[in-house]
Amino acid sequence: MTGEHSALALRGLAKRFDGTIAVASVDLDVPAGSFYGLLGPNGAGKTTTLSMAVGLLRPDAGSAWVLGHDVWRDPVAAKRLLGVMPDGMRLFDRLTGAELLAYNGLLRGMEPAVVDQRAAELLDVLALGDAGRTLVVDYSAGMKKKIGLACALLHGPRVLVLDEPFEAVDPVSAALIRDILTRYAAGGGTVVFSSHVMEVVERLCSHVAILAGGAIKRVGTIGEVRGDRSLEQVFVEVVGGRTATGEELSWLSR
Amino acid sequence: MALPMSTAAAPAGPVRAVSARHFLRLKLRVMGNSFRGQGWRLAMFIGGALVGLWFAASGFFLFAVPGMTGNGRYAMLVAAGGGGLLVLGWLLLPLVFFGVDETLDPARFALLPLPRRTLVLGLFAAALVSVSALAMLIATFGLVLTAWRLGGWSAGVVAVVGVVAGLLLCVAASRAVTSAFASMLRSRRVRDLAAVLLAVTAALLGPLQIFGLAALRETDWDRLTGVATVIGWTPLGAPWTAGIDVAQGRVWAAPVKLLITVVALGALLAWWSRSLESAMVGAVSSGRTPARRGATGGAVAQLFPRITGRMRRDRFGALVARDARYWWRDARRRANLITIAVVGIFVPVMTNLGGAGFAGGEQGMTLSTSDSSPVVVTISMLFVGVLASVTLANQFGFDGSAYAANVVAGVPGRVELRARMTAFSLYVLPMLTVVAVALSLLLGHPGWIGLTAGSMVATYGAGLAVSSFVSVLGAYSLPETSNPFAMNTGAGMAKGLLTLLAMVVAAVAGVPMVVAAALLGDAWLWLALPVGAAYGLGAALLGAYLAGDVLDRRQPELLATVTPRR
Repeated sequence: MTGEHSALALRGLAKRFDGTIAVASVDLDVPAGSFYGLLGPNGAGKTTTLSMAVGLLRPDAGSAWVLGHDVWRDPVAAKRLLGVMPDGMRLFDRLTGAELLAYNGLLRGMEPAVVDQRAAELLDVLALGDAGRTLVVDYSAGMKKKIGLACALLHGPRVLVLDEPFEAVDPVSAALIRDILTRYAAGGGTVVFSSHVMEVVERLCSHVAILAGGAIKRVGTIGEVRGDRSLEQVFVEVVGGRTATGEELSWLSR
Repeated sequence: MALPMSTAAAPAGPVRAVSARHFLRLKLRVMGNSFRGQGWRLAMFIGGALVGLWFAASGFFLFAVPGMTGNGRYAMLVAAGGGGLLVLGWLLLPLVFFGVDETLDPARFALLPLPRRTLVLGLFAAALVSVSALAMLIATFGLVLTAWRLGGWSAGVVAVVGVVAGLLLCVAASRAVTSAFASMLRSRRVRDLAAVLLAVTAALLGPLQIFGLAALRETDWDRLTGVATVIGWTPLGAPWTAGIDVAQGRVWAAPVKLLITVVALGALLAWWSRSLESAMVGAVSSGRTPARRGATGGAVAQLFPRITGRMRRDRFGALVARDARYWWRDARRRANLITIAVVGIFVPVMTNLGGAGFAGGEQGMTLSTSDSSPVVVTISMLFVGVLASVTLANQFGFDGSAYAANVVAGVPGRVELRARMTAFSLYVLPMLTVVAVALSLLLGHPGWIGLTAGSMVATYGAGLAVSSFVSVLGAYSLPETSNPFAMNTGAGMAKGLLTLLAMVVAAVAGVPMVVAAALLGDAWLWLALPVGAAYGLGAALLGAYLAGDVLDRRQPELLATVTPRR
């Protein structure tokens, strides 16, 4: 890896659980400054892929680089550049929002004064300031996503990896998260996120990869992947979903 | 009721009744599935089962001794004493060490249209399917042998009924107590009450113990049989002694004792049923905090609790502050702290004052005339230190998947482990100091403060080192329920053994303190504290240094093992 580095580069990442292949040799190059959507149905291996890419799950084979730093050989340098919001992982949710931000900031080696200032701003912008001393465990699903995003953003990472940032989020919070991510990308940051919500991906992303059955099926700029059809049509075709049922489930209507 | 269950059944069709059988099958299925593809889990389960069988066999022979020797004189003593201890064990041990197997989490049934009666009986039946219940049954069948040898088949049959009823009683007791205690801890209003309640219980147990030993000192074994007879009329001993009563000609006593057992069983199940409801509802919003006002200062100032003092506001400080907050806010951890506090005071007082009882000879029983020696004190302090430190044996399991935040941030293993030790010590060291001082004063040897504190701190530090390794290499996930005593499928016994192993290793590490106490005499009274503190601190730092290296290499694997499977 020399010269112009990809923000995130995956080479032959593979993982199997109990004999079933979750991810089979995924290659991906995320250009710096891009807004990258990782699309896939439930169980496609999105979370597994992203977890291996950020150092949360050790791959059986393959490697991952963040701006030229090997995530598994040189984790300190790679993790410094990364902001991560995992899905299905708890936060340290017995802290209040402010405490959680302070914890993450200091963990990243930031100056206390900077942490204080950024935490206050983030809580304000994400409309979490009203929660006051409420513990994160008592937050609503949307609030949890927002505080998770704030934790990932706090140290000003160069690459942001978000797993399902729009899942279980109401439209107001979703719009807010979208705005923040757009601003972050406009400022030169790279965003990689997984989703199965077509409209969001279509509206935000410059690049898309479609993952199904643990392998990349389509990859490229959104224009290349979509062609002259809608993203949803391409997605359903690639994934091979079935449409409209006729005879079955007749007992549903009585 | 014989309607064939087909997939095309109308939603409003006749509903088949749910019975305990369904819960049993569900539990077996869940257990079976949890072993699939997890060889080590199966291995641990089998290991646990073998140890359980070993205990069962030894218990069986102990209970069978009066029958096999044909000597009925001590049959009552063995039955009431041994059986009573077993009930107490089922009552208290889950709180202290093992937790309860919550393969079937009551909260999962909250949405099903089940009558509470069905639910309680079903969960109860499922709870009976465990290695420990089976081991218990095997062990207590020794009583059946005794009753049969002493009183023929009729006594044997009564003993069978009694033993089975006793097992039901034990399982119900452990469920009811853990469930009630869990719901107490969950509600913040009464959480302090729970601590007080436990403390009072412990305080009551102490004098009871002394009375018991006093009785033991003044009387011979035959008089003790009188005590056993009395215990036999309480739920603690009733189920076990019914068969012996028949064998010894008191046929009328058997039905009364069985009735006592059944009434106690019913009361326990009713109690459990009440707390179960709160457990089911509580899971929806567990431990909701009132939105506290008055957030003062910046985010960083808010993170650091007062107990951390003027700690540096850096990575190490943040880890300590977060962990310190968790020891108080997380019900599971808080339960552990309370346990340490109670057992830490109760056990040394018991062994040392009890030791006085044993050795006291003809003198009257006053607390100050204790013959407790420096060696005995050191050994009991060893136990407290070990017990406190072994709480960290699954420190990462407490965090669950939240540990991902530390992995993502790339926290060095050594910093992580040192911070966790520090945060825990913020609570435990003051507690241990209180124990050391209180015990020395209680024994009437204020000069022993250095000895007690020194040996305790030494083992505590060595134990922290051992626990660091166990927590990195032998971590396991805890179920995400509201019950702080819940354990995962079938793992309870094996995990308890791992903890015990850690305790043994830590205790061995503390042996030099005992040897020093035995050999060095009075000089040691002054040297114990500085030497012990240095030894403990050195051991803990060395442990964090070495285990931190291991942690650095297997952070993702550790995260995977502590993440609960869903």
